[in-house]
Amino acid sequence: MANYAMLIDPDRCTGCGACRMACQMQWQLAPKMYYNRVEFKESGKYPNAKMEILPVQCQHCEEAPCLNVCPTGATNKGHGGIINVDSDNCIQCKACFYVCPYDARVIDQETGVPGKCKFCAGFISQGETCVSTCMNDVRVFGDLDDPTSKITKLMKEKDVYQLLTREGTKPSIYYVGNKLELSGK
Amino acid sequence: MVKMTRRNFLKTAAATGVASTSLKFSFNEYSKAAANAEVEKRHTLCNGCSNMCGLFVYVKNGRVVKAEGNPIHLKNKGKICARGHGMVADIYNPDRVTRPMKRVGEQEFEPISWEQAFSEIGEKLTGIIDEHSANSVTWLEHGVRGKNYADIFLDYIGSPNYITHYATCFSSKTNVWSRMMATNLFGDHENSDYMLFVGRNFAGGIIPNGMRKVLKATRERGAKLVVVDPRCCELAKVADEWIPIKPGTDLAFFLAIAHVLVTEDLKDRKFTREYVENFEEFWNANRNCTPEWAEEITDVPADKIREIARDLAKHAPKAFLETGYHGLNAHYQNSVQQAQMNVIINALLGNMYQRGGLLPSASVEFGQFETKRPPEKEKGPRVDGAGEEGPYATVEAVRGIPQRVPQLVEEGKIKALFIYHYNPLRTCPDPEYQKKIKDADLVVSMPIDWNETSLYTADYILPECYFMERAELPVQTSGHITHDYPQIAMRTEVVEPMEDTKPLLDIMKGIAKEIGAEEYFDFTVDDWAKAMIEPLGVTLEHLKEAGCIEFRNQGIDPKFPLEGGEPALNTPSGKVEFSVGLYKVNGFSGVPRWIPPKVEPKRQDEFRLIHGKQPWHSHHITSNNPYLMAISEQYDATRMWINKERADKLGIKTGDTVTVESEIAKKEVEVKATELLHPDCVWVPSAYGGFSKKAETAYGVGINWNDFLPAMVEPIAGSTMGQEVIVRVRKEGK
Repeated sequence: MANYAMLIDPDRCTGCGACRMACQMQWQLAPKMYYNRVEFKESGKYPNAKMEILPVQCQHCEEAPCLNVCPTGATNKGHGGIINVDSDNCIQCKACFYVCPYDARVIDQETGVPGKCKFCAGFISQGETCVSTCMNDVRVFGDLDDPTSKITKLMKEKDVYQLLTREGTKPSIYYVGNKLELSGK
Repeated sequence: MVKMTRRNFLKTAAATGVASTSLKFSFNEYSKAAANAEVEKRHTLCNGCSNMCGLFVYVKNGRVVKAEGNPIHLKNKGKICARGHGMVADIYNPDRVTRPMKRVGEQEFEPISWEQAFSEIGEKLTGIIDEHSANSVTWLEHGVRGKNYADIFLDYIGSPNYITHYATCFSSKTNVWSRMMATNLFGDHENSDYMLFVGRNFAGGIIPNGMRKVLKATRERGAKLVVVDPRCCELAKVADEWIPIKPGTDLAFFLAIAHVLVTEDLKDRKFTREYVENFEEFWNANRNCTPEWAEEITDVPADKIREIARDLAKHAPKAFLETGYHGLNAHYQNSVQQAQMNVIINALLGNMYQRGGLLPSASVEFGQFETKRPPEKEKGPRVDGAGEEGPYATVEAVRGIPQRVPQLVEEGKIKALFIYHYNPLRTCPDPEYQKKIKDADLVVSMPIDWNETSLYTADYILPECYFMERAELPVQTSGHITHDYPQIAMRTEVVEPMEDTKPLLDIMKGIAKEIGAEEYFDFTVDDWAKAMIEPLGVTLEHLKEAGCIEFRNQGIDPKFPLEGGEPALNTPSGKVEFSVGLYKVNGFSGVPRWIPPKVEPKRQDEFRLIHGKQPWHSHHITSNNPYLMAISEQYDATRMWINKERADKLGIKTGDTVTVESEIAKKEVEVKATELLHPDCVWVPSAYGGFSKKAETAYGVGINWNDFLPAMVEPIAGSTMGQEVIVRVRKEGK
């Protein structure tokens, strides 16, 4: 078995958008269809103010609300806990879109299917494109069941947190650094 | 009742023997076939900005599908930014010019054949040269991709007029470094212990491997990063400290840093004694530039200035003031002097030719291409005056003064213009003034897409093919960041040119044939490329396949250049010259002295208009890219930034539309009221304000700083002084 997860360090992110673009090219998405985003924030008062950036994508939750509401099983859990969308089985009811607390679903304007980050399933051996294109090494992807993986080691060393833990979703995406709140919907 | 879903419909259909084909069947079949097609990875160099990162492009079914970074190329080391990915989409941008065009009316064109275009251009050009001399012919380009071919053309006709865009970018820096150092040095970010970036957003104008090095130094080794900028830019976001400064006053900040280094005896005495010329002249002119004096001007507290100077000195030579790029170096009346101070501060730190400080680029010697050159013709003085006796004697002739072109057309001094890969109507000051370019007798534009310059001014548009559709001569990959070993790289043809477009060399061959210069363009890119790399012991096939080759046998030697024990920079003294003789003989101060900015905001509704790169745009070159513009739309990124407190006083809040007005223009734009900006200025991202109706994605989106900026020429380096403009801001309807 595998337990895929991602560790994101927002402190390193400079909001360049390469992750979004790389993903769009990888999955041949239309310009306004994207699987990851950043939230730009600011805190403090001039001149002691600072900019903060939070990268967000599908959290591949262990208790995924989208999985529970999907009437057709189009949303399903696959190998390593990856949440997949089988577009052939999707009836475009958008329940997953509305229920996702992370606002991680984006409706494909052509097909009506709410798409999202796939953790680059099928490309895992080559590395997630949002990971590999990033000049700032914001993301680390890996298998938490593999004790030798980089992510397992980092998770042991660092204080990590998850977004919206109160939702009880148990996300597979972890964050390090100063705790940032999701602005979301 | 069973709820009929797609899933159980298909189940039912299968059970009853109904053919389970869906509407998508044929598409799926097609997709499968397409998906199984072979994928080829081919190499090119990115055109998303001018860094030319190494790209591997995936080609499937003859179509470019995605790109990834070349892991060798020193500028990106396997990474690419959003622009690089965006370039993949732009090849299929519907707003490309797909065949030669001839103007038939105001913004109206008809397609013509290449033969007709060449023939008519050749005839008109010959007529113009006969009547007005070759001096009335000008080649205008971003620089320097077309220079190899433009030089042959200009030599043949006998014109000295090769003009680039650099006056809008960093001409103060190149002017100063060529005179004070006669070379370029760059920050060794990776090995530095203390980095001071002033007016340089490394995370906006991106060199991916540069950012990687900065983060490696700061996050893994604990190096300190301090960013001084009126705006909390993306680099400031990852810095230890953001120190806002009043825009236009960086020179005073630098003078005070130098004051602390000298008065507290923190400077590198040995370096100053042995390798610096005219330190005394500099010091005598600036003895009174104390931190307290600078605090009044810059809004940076005197104690903070002292702290930074001391920290720099403490970590020297593994500390530097970043040598900069666009920000500051074409922006103010005092840009040249601030660029001089960049050299001076680094020299006082003794960090030059030191690891962790500033290093030279590793380089190789390319071979010469022996081709038949046109016979030498006597050329007149440059029409823009750059480097000629007169008011622009100190301006570098290789850069030129592009913002003077419309005026020179109006004065009848420029009759024919060849504009290559350049869009001055949008990227030079005052678009209405730029439109005068149209009045030249012959305007030929060689763009990729329907940019403003082509649409408004060109008589003929000769569309170049996209960069992925053409090969270009090999280049060295160095510049702006350091790397121990030299590299060469080459842009190769990834896919065939689409529609009826041509690479620049073929366009030049076509024009040359009509003016009797055919024999001077009787070569291919491969011929020239082979001659260049011949001495390096690599084959063209190898270079094309690898895309980028590193030469491990010749590394940099981080030592101050000496000859017979004497300093041997290529300056008159062989040393770092704190006083520039050429400036002195032309009536300027040889050493930097405080010069205030040319204009100042005074009233409650007045602001200095400043600008900068967003991380996913390269000024206007990417603003018609549907993917990159979708990012802008999602983040409301066309908004003008205004300091929150100043906005409150004017009754303005985020999302409001305001009127922005300078002496020459009045526009409306949405604002972002923010704590992340100095109160003296408003900031606009540099990508927007497209006004070519044939470049639909960019058209009418946002505003551009050039809309508000009158055309001016900074007297020493010839820059546009792009931030010497005051605007009045008021809530719409007030």
